[in-house]
Amino acid sequence: MLSTHELSCQRGRQQLWGNLNLEVAPGELLFVKGANGNGKTSLLKILAGLLSPDNGQVMWQQQAITKDPYAYRDQLLYIGHQTALKPEMSAIENLTFLSNLHGLRYSETEIAKAFKQWDLQGKTLHLASRQLSQGQKQRVALAQLNLSQQQVWILDEPFNSLDATGASTLTHLLQKHLQAKGILVLTSHLHERGQDMTPPLEAVEQLLIL
Amino acid sequence: MQKLSTLEILLAVFKRDISLALRRQSDTLGAVFFFALVVSLFPLAIGPETKLLQQIAPGIIWVSALLAVMLSLSRLFNDDYQDGVLEQLALSICPLALIAIAKILAHWTYTGLILLCISPVLALQFNLSAIAIEVLLITLFIGTLILSFIGSIGAALTVGLKSSGALISLLVLPLLIPVLILGTLAVDAATASLPYSVYLYILLALAVLASFFAPIACAAALRIALD
Repeated sequence: MLSTHELSCQRGRQQLWGNLNLEVAPGELLFVKGANGNGKTSLLKILAGLLSPDNGQVMWQQQAITKDPYAYRDQLLYIGHQTALKPEMSAIENLTFLSNLHGLRYSETEIAKAFKQWDLQGKTLHLASRQLSQGQKQRVALAQLNLSQQQVWILDEPFNSLDATGASTLTHLLQKHLQAKGILVLTSHLHERGQDMTPPLEAVEQLLIL
Repeated sequence: MQKLSTLEILLAVFKRDISLALRRQSDTLGAVFFFALVVSLFPLAIGPETKLLQQIAPGIIWVSALLAVMLSLSRLFNDDYQDGVLEQLALSICPLALIAIAKILAHWTYTGLILLCISPVLALQFNLSAIAIEVLLITLFIGTLILSFIGSIGAALTVGLKSSGALISLLVLPLLIPVLILGTLAVDAATASLPYSVYLYILLALAVLASFFAPIACAAALRIALD
């Protein structure tokens, strides 16, 4: 279980949010919503252990994540709004490297299979990432989800620059992760006629508005 | 799927950095080209006075190597910071300090090691004796390793800054002056057929110290940069 205790975050002198007590159990989704600059990304980075909160703690399995960060990182997949792809490397090389960082190595066929679910195949996989479109880059980054063995997924705006088919592939994957007792934290600003919309996930278990 | 050991993860980081360096040849070779150019301009400008050239050779080669390494340092962590890979490195199941070691060793391979390979040829222009060239190579081998390690602290501290090059030099050069002095002293001693091993030992001791502390400092600086 991922939980927080009296978490608060400051940027400069201004307090963005404070006293956050969250609990996300296996199979649950935490959907973080809020206007730009309200600290959604900061919250996600704090939950991932990239930022240290000004107050409070993030707990994984009832233990502060600072206590045994490697046990937590072993179970964590964080995809920020930067795609973490090297422009000089191909989609395959990028995905291989990112999974190597998590201590996993996949065969070419496993990787090709993951890409295929995102409609990426053939020549595209061998192009340098700088030649890919924004949506394709996002798809390459999200292909990490197909290979993921981690229980906690923290995704910052994963629906960004995806087209309709991409969005439905992603929704399907997230749904599957939740069914497999995964923990999911995500932000998104999908807009429809100027209104914020929650992603089409059936179970928005917890909605946090910052 | 296959699980990787820590060593294999580090090897993956090392290989990736080398392959990236090979794909940005203009950047990688820039430092080496600078080194070769500066070192070969001196004999042309000074003229064929063998004694004088032999005297100034160690200093010139060492200073050029130092500046060439400085030039190449600014991209060590900054690129990874810009495209978000640094976040993923920080979230790896492998400690960030160890990843820093892999990156620093890769940096040394594509700068220090190449400088080392071309320096005997360049040293010939100064009419250095065989023993002096040998000592020069040994000191450069240890010295460039120290430069990469200590320089990486500067690179990590200036991650995310726009024109970090000048700042890195300002931060790191004072720390590198002992290395410069020891390196040139060793070659001078060898040219004058005096014992030089003491300088090598001190350099080695510095290398051990730097390779232990620099990665820890790097990891701390990188975490601050991400904060």
